[in-house]
Amino acid sequence: MKLEIKNVTKKFKEKKAVSQFSMVLEIGQCVGLIGPNGAGKSTLIKIIADILHTDEGEVLLEGKNISKMKREIGYLPQYPNFYEWMTAKETLLFMGQLSGISKKELIKEIPIMLAKVGLSGEENEKVRTFSGGMKQRLGIAQALLHKPAFIVMDEPVSALDPIGRREVLNLIQEIKKETTILLSTHILSDAEEICERFVIIKNGLKIEDTTMIDLISRNSKPVVCVEITPNDKFWIDIVKVLPYVKSAETIGNKVKITLDDIAEHKNKLIQNALENNVDIIRFEMDNNETLEEIFLKLVVGA
Amino acid sequence: MNSLGVLMKKEYSQVLRDFKVIWLPLVFVFLGATQPIMTYYLPVILEVLGGTQGISIDPTMIEQTGGQVLAATLGSQFDQLGIMIIVIAMMGLIQSDKSSGMLAFILTRPVTVSSYIGGKLVFNYLLVSVSVGIGYFISLLYIHFLFTSVELSQLIGALLCYLVWVLFSVSFITMLSAVLNSQALIAIVGIITLLICRMLVGLHPMLDAVNPAGMSQHAMNLLISGSIGANLSINLLVTIIWVLLTVIITHYWILQKKFHES
Repeated sequence: MKLEIKNVTKKFKEKKAVSQFSMVLEIGQCVGLIGPNGAGKSTLIKIIADILHTDEGEVLLEGKNISKMKREIGYLPQYPNFYEWMTAKETLLFMGQLSGISKKELIKEIPIMLAKVGLSGEENEKVRTFSGGMKQRLGIAQALLHKPAFIVMDEPVSALDPIGRREVLNLIQEIKKETTILLSTHILSDAEEICERFVIIKNGLKIEDTTMIDLISRNSKPVVCVEITPNDKFWIDIVKVLPYVKSAETIGNKVKITLDDIAEHKNKLIQNALENNVDIIRFEMDNNETLEEIFLKLVVGA
Repeated sequence: MNSLGVLMKKEYSQVLRDFKVIWLPLVFVFLGATQPIMTYYLPVILEVLGGTQGISIDPTMIEQTGGQVLAATLGSQFDQLGIMIIVIAMMGLIQSDKSSGMLAFILTRPVTVSSYIGGKLVFNYLLVSVSVGIGYFISLLYIHFLFTSVELSQLIGALLCYLVWVLFSVSFITMLSAVLNSQALIAIVGIITLLICRMLVGLHPMLDAVNPAGMSQHAMNLLISGSIGANLSINLLVTIIWVLLTVIITHYWILQKKFHES
């Protein structure tokens, strides 16, 4: 089963919130939709949850239009506002029955589900008395209840305090073993922690779709930086003709050397330097950029 | 249970928790009792307050039949304060679900828009009908003791006619509740439109035929004269068309997700 988003465009008045957005989600993935505020994340999530219509394009689940496959989607809104006069148990009973599960089955399932999200003992408390984190966990329980193929979450942790955030993140870690998750966030460390794949969106356009490892390896170059004494400058010419060195660039006493394969060749390079009696002051690998730096570079366009 | 049943049950628990199931019938009981009591004691009140000097009203001249008083209950109490109360009780029907995001949330489940509207309309119409019915019965009880009794067939016929007008009021407010976003606006537009409908009754027979409030007039005529008005069937048909129209607009509005774009 896969979710296909095909050329989705959504306009509000004249402003394009999402434009020509396409992506495919395979089963078992946990995908983070990342973007700055106002990038169109929520709009896209709402389109996938069939809350908003698209102006162009379509969202297909297993080849069928999403509005016919609602049973297979679990949705968690950004601020899950349940009926405040209902208790936790009544809320799950209500949402579960609307998803087409029999009351009998729900009576059996609800205590298990509440235990899973850490709300056992609260089943007869009114939703009105719940904290933000508890509502979010009840929302997750609601989204999981009918055992959907996909769970779509709109900023599941952005509005929570550090404790609530930790609770919900741990819960998502737990459930991602069993289901496919698409979540939006603007907090990168959260995405880094739970998602394997990232889709970065800016001004309604998809600007990046990649995995964490890929993103980091793509943005780190095979470069080592060697600082030597001025007397050893002759070594640079030797380095330049080494078979595994692509290029060498001198900046003061530092030499930036680009290698074919950093893991394989960096020790050879040190060896070569020692053989030539080079006085090495500092030898370092170019630091990998963090996800945040990469994100800023992509989004701000620096 | 199908989703219509689940949604109706939810409406039921909601009116139970916010006590609407108690106060709405109570309001109509109060309104129903007011008219016969006031009519009966008015001569006494006038006498006490005004004395007997000058022109005096002969109490026997204003003696009214039970049917007339019951008609006055519908026309002067239910159609004025009663309508306002119905508007206020129903104005948040869909609007509150819209503003809390519950409407969008419910529709992410495999629930049709028809069963959502159906659950709201059917249950709340039942609630209002029962409230009006109880008020009507209380009014009748007082009339039975203070005035003459009313024939059973007229009684039931008039109530049924009146409930058609109530059906239009409820479906009209439901439509406003789906289309408009502010409760105050829903209340004002609802009350003014329904009261204008009621006031236009009797101006012209053509206008009466297409006016849903004409059903209220038919109910009153039946109680006063004991006979059915000439264009009752046309009026009934047109009112049902009006009701269907409001339901279709509500359905269209929610299905097209217009409620997100304001």
